[in-house]
Amino acid sequence: MPMPPRAKHLWRYTPWPRIQPQDGVPVADKIVFTVNGNNNLETGAPRVVLESDIARVFLSEIGGSSHTLNIEGDVGLVHIQARASGHVAAGHLHINCKGNSTVILHLTGEADWSGLYISGAVADNCKLAYGFINELSNNCKLLHCEDWSVARDSTMEIAALSVGGFRCKSDVRTTLTETGASLKQAVTVHGLGARHIDNHIEINHKVANCNSKLVINSACAGSSRSIATGLLKVAKGANGTDAGQVFRNLLLSDKARADSIPELEVLADEVKAAHGAASAPVNPEQIHYLMSRGLSPQQAEAMIVEGFLIDAFSCLTDTDLKDVLATRMTIHLECELKR
Amino acid sequence: MSDEARDIVGDYRFGFHDEDKSTIRFDNGLSEQIVRDISTLKNEPEWMTDIRVKAYHHFIERDMPNWGNPEILNNIDFEAITYFLRSTDSTEDDWKDVPEDIQNTFDKVGLREAENTWLGGITAQYDSEAVYHSIREDLESQGVIFLDMDTGLREHPELVKKYFGKVVPHSDNKFAALNTAVWSGGSFLYIPKGVHVEMPVQAYFRINAENMGQFERTLILADEGSSVHYIEGCTAPSYSSTALHSAVVELIAMDGAKIRYSTIQNWSDNVLNLVTKRAHAMKNATVEWIDSNIGSGLTMKYPAILLKGEGSHAEVVSVAYAGQNQHQDTGAKVHHLAANTTSNIVSKSISKDGGRSTYRGLLQVTPKANNCRSKVVCDALMLDQDSRSDTYPTMEIGNSTADLEHEASVSKVSGDQLFYLMSRGFNEQEAMGLIVNGFFEPFTRELPSDYAVEMNKLLNIKMEGSIG
Repeated sequence: MPMPPRAKHLWRYTPWPRIQPQDGVPVADKIVFTVNGNNNLETGAPRVVLESDIARVFLSEIGGSSHTLNIEGDVGLVHIQARASGHVAAGHLHINCKGNSTVILHLTGEADWSGLYISGAVADNCKLAYGFINELSNNCKLLHCEDWSVARDSTMEIAALSVGGFRCKSDVRTTLTETGASLKQAVTVHGLGARHIDNHIEINHKVANCNSKLVINSACAGSSRSIATGLLKVAKGANGTDAGQVFRNLLLSDKARADSIPELEVLADEVKAAHGAASAPVNPEQIHYLMSRGLSPQQAEAMIVEGFLIDAFSCLTDTDLKDVLATRMTIHLECELKR
Repeated sequence: MSDEARDIVGDYRFGFHDEDKSTIRFDNGLSEQIVRDISTLKNEPEWMTDIRVKAYHHFIERDMPNWGNPEILNNIDFEAITYFLRSTDSTEDDWKDVPEDIQNTFDKVGLREAENTWLGGITAQYDSEAVYHSIREDLESQGVIFLDMDTGLREHPELVKKYFGKVVPHSDNKFAALNTAVWSGGSFLYIPKGVHVEMPVQAYFRINAENMGQFERTLILADEGSSVHYIEGCTAPSYSSTALHSAVVELIAMDGAKIRYSTIQNWSDNVLNLVTKRAHAMKNATVEWIDSNIGSGLTMKYPAILLKGEGSHAEVVSVAYAGQNQHQDTGAKVHHLAANTTSNIVSKSISKDGGRSTYRGLLQVTPKANNCRSKVVCDALMLDQDSRSDTYPTMEIGNSTADLEHEASVSKVSGDQLFYLMSRGFNEQEAMGLIVNGFFEPFTRELPSDYAVEMNKLLNIKMEGSIG
């Protein structure tokens, strides 16, 4: 497959050679998925590979583990631990939602390179809240793709917390395939040291009367860099679409960088489609206020960062999802503060 | 106008053309010899010929952009274009000496009337070269140099050599290379230190011949503490064959200077408008691009400003109208390269009858640019379900003290607004016209009043038939 050109914004900031494990396709260890409670993972997973995307083709070729989680009825909170070990590790998880559930996927491990592919479908009149926590070790590379479809009158909430790994490229695409489908998506990124985190979020409104909301909050310290590219597509005839995207960046050091590219492609006229992006430093008045209440400058900044990042989850409605991700965020920031 | 002509021209009231009475017309097609012939014909210095030839080779080697509208770009037949056409043997400073049909053309587009009432100077370009040029005596006496670019090169070669291609080098992009190779006409404007040009100066670019390529080159230098408002307008006849307009505009605003560059682009739909416009703003300087794109089949234009000096400011206000068979791929680029720089970008677009409007922008803050502020607002109106609106903004932030905002929205005309206006006695067409004029108001309020009125009229003509 030819190398994707850097002119395409998808590969402009993290070119393929910087994220692939090595030339060619190496033999991969399996990412080990462990699920809590009575829920079982089936071995094997259906996969449709988007031939035009090098990342998806590569993740298909490299193999690794492959599982399916079937959700039927009200399942409640499902916690899946994904562990990536060895030199190169890969895995594919498919989530088939025919009920209501909150699924948390927690990725940890110290593999030099991890390749994770998540796919899923939310059936008619169902609800899935899905959270992805990336807490890989600080020297890991991660290539991560997700493909979701949301059917008639269904609701999907996606939350992502990116606090691990050295260089991460995530590409999450959701298609609202039938009328009444709804998506809420929140992404938080905390950049430390020289972390490089590239998130591409694509939302496709294929039919009429669907809605979506995307919030990306990035806080970058050290010489870290966060890239957020969003593409909102409204297909011809998808009238009644209500879609919004917000990108916010908080830069915490002189060498940190943040790039936002929120894109819109609208081919229908009865739509509300909007995006906003903002970038600013920490407000010194807020720091001053917190310090006047007895916090050190580091504690004050950490509190502001925590509030800023957790605020992204306020667009979600699933309380389990919000609580788990907010808690992980707090723990992460506490640990970083004590380092 | 015959029915046949009406079929081609449609509602485009500048779609008429004069008989081709060119004194020199090169054969269609592009080669190194054509490039050298243009230079020889203009009796240019050797260094300019060398730049042209170098640019020609870069054009040949450079790939076509794979973004914007590759389908149209890849189908441009560069061999079918005329690269040089001289309509008159000299640039006149009295309309009486300009051939009558050309005079009439510039009368019809309203240029002579504007000159008499409120312009400080004017250059009228007809196909490849300026046919008329004037400047008020009081400006000349203050040291203002306003010439067509060919005369500018002849009379001020050292100044041109110093700045030509310094803001937009020939290697910048394929169409900048093409322009550098075959440029002809355009404006050369120099404002001395501390001089404020109170009345705007204008250039008007008219394509008359079929299959014509117009490649004007404009260089504006505003010396320290000076200010100027430059306006350009452009129209062309409606032909069934493609014409190419590929200009390069370079602006340099020295310390404390201010340049406002206003464009009312109203090419006919057979014109491909592929333009590179860029400015350098030095310490405490201000550059403003006030840009409207109403015509052309495809426009790809992203006026850029490099804020190189501390305290400099960039302002871009652009509007685009994309009707049937039109793609307006426009936007703005601002590079914050120095501390305490500010920028403001407002972009408005309307898509109608299957037209496509695209905002493509870049806002960059480099690590050394402390305490920058910027705001970008893009609004798009979709008037029917056959049209399309895209927004591709990019924000690259490399400095933690930057305070940036971007917002964009796509929507249709609100039924409530239409209902309200109709309840006050307007018919639906008038109500729609008012809403659209109001939507574009951030642009029109930046224009001199005569132009704003003309702009609103143009939009109303474009909006005819948009109801029902």
